[in-house]
Amino acid sequence: MIAPITMDGFSHIVVETTDLGRGEEFYRLLGFQASGYDRVPNCGAHALFQMASGQWLILARSERPRTFPDSGVHQAYRVTPWDRDAIGAKLAAAGVPVHTYKEDRPAEAADNFYCFDPDGNRIQLIANSGVATDPRGKVLSIDHAAIESHDLEWAEDFYVNRLGWVADHRVGWRTDDYVRAKLWGEGKEQMAPGTRRWDRRYTTMEQKRLLPRPNTQLFVRVGDGVLGVFLATQHRQEPPEEQIVGTPRIGVRASRAVLIETAKLLAEARSLTAGPLEHPSRSPIALSLYIKDPGANFLEICVPR
Amino acid sequence: MADVEGLSHSAICVHDLKQAEDFYCNILGARLGNRVNFKTDDAIRGRSVHGSVILEDYLLALVVPRDFMPMPAEEQQRGAHGFRHGFRVSRERFDRIKSELMRQNVPFEGPVDHPEKGPFGQSIYFKDPSGNFLEILWRRDEGAAYSKPYITGVG
Repeated sequence: MIAPITMDGFSHIVVETTDLGRGEEFYRLLGFQASGYDRVPNCGAHALFQMASGQWLILARSERPRTFPDSGVHQAYRVTPWDRDAIGAKLAAAGVPVHTYKEDRPAEAADNFYCFDPDGNRIQLIANSGVATDPRGKVLSIDHAAIESHDLEWAEDFYVNRLGWVADHRVGWRTDDYVRAKLWGEGKEQMAPGTRRWDRRYTTMEQKRLLPRPNTQLFVRVGDGVLGVFLATQHRQEPPEEQIVGTPRIGVRASRAVLIETAKLLAEARSLTAGPLEHPSRSPIALSLYIKDPGANFLEICVPR
Repeated sequence: MADVEGLSHSAICVHDLKQAEDFYCNILGARLGNRVNFKTDDAIRGRSVHGSVILEDYLLALVVPRDFMPMPAEEQQRGAHGFRHGFRVSRERFDRIKSELMRQNVPFEGPVDHPEKGPFGQSIYFKDPSGNFLEILWRRDEGAAYSKPYITGVG
């Protein structure tokens, strides 16, 4: 079933931190300026940062942030090339390491600029999107976000067949991916966490030797944003089954009609949802549908006010 | 003596699993079997990426090799690249598959007429996107019901 629904792209990203003050200070280095606090429903105590696109980064306080720095999970923001150079200098002055890993998606081939926030959220800065080149002094927009899932077939069925997002790129399906993984295995290519694995062959036929392999990935497009789904290479404790609303969370913008139609389609498919919920007028979001995907990632389809 | 009871499946190498699935499902009418290494448990166990498609009652395992395989010449449609799979269809379906190959711009050779006294009527020969040779044929004896082979023993 292809859902007859079209969503507009990312609305917001919620990431977790143990210390809001420290987090805010770090994100200021990247060009984020806090534009409010505790205004978005179901984020707990948080700081709200608005990008030039109108999208938000929400830094939510958590005792035990779910950041998974050793996995493919990350958030990528667009900045101008000039700003990225300036941010690099600020990070260096603050003693924050910048990593120059590579990833597999061709669209990111020239954008290997990564750092970690103090809680282990991996951040990628995209400066080759061609949107703008001059200094802006602030983050332009969300380019993509990446989550992990323990079942990529379920993930593809959910995002493509149920939500109507478009499969953009797959990794791990082709011989090219395996040939490239060998370069990583030989130490010739530095790849981002979560993109490669050392697999121990389980058959005695190959003497259980270790093999470098690409980690399986799926990229789906929603509006002008892309969501990467990386295969989880280890089992993690999921949120309780009955919890549908939580953080970290990806927010996607849609019209009211699309949100209601999506709620109906997901209810028919017995997907895990809460809402639609109307929010008080102080919230920048008017209406939300909360969803937990098959990999226990939290999503929010929302109508901004 | 092994006393095998039948052919279970074949495994072939494909350079692009998605492209191969689409080829076998959309052109030859196969249905998807399973996929391996798209789940965390498979990754932890170090299983290889592979999938399968089922053509009527026959399972083709599609394995992604870690290195590129030598490809046959582009214009060569007939041969045994590793080996060749020949699938039997009814005469009516044979014509439909030929039309589908033409519609999807898949190069093929044939229909090639076989000797009148033999069991095969006609064949068409082509390759999947990874260069695996395939044959579709109809049999002159497709309506015949055969009795089980009579085992005479040896000697």
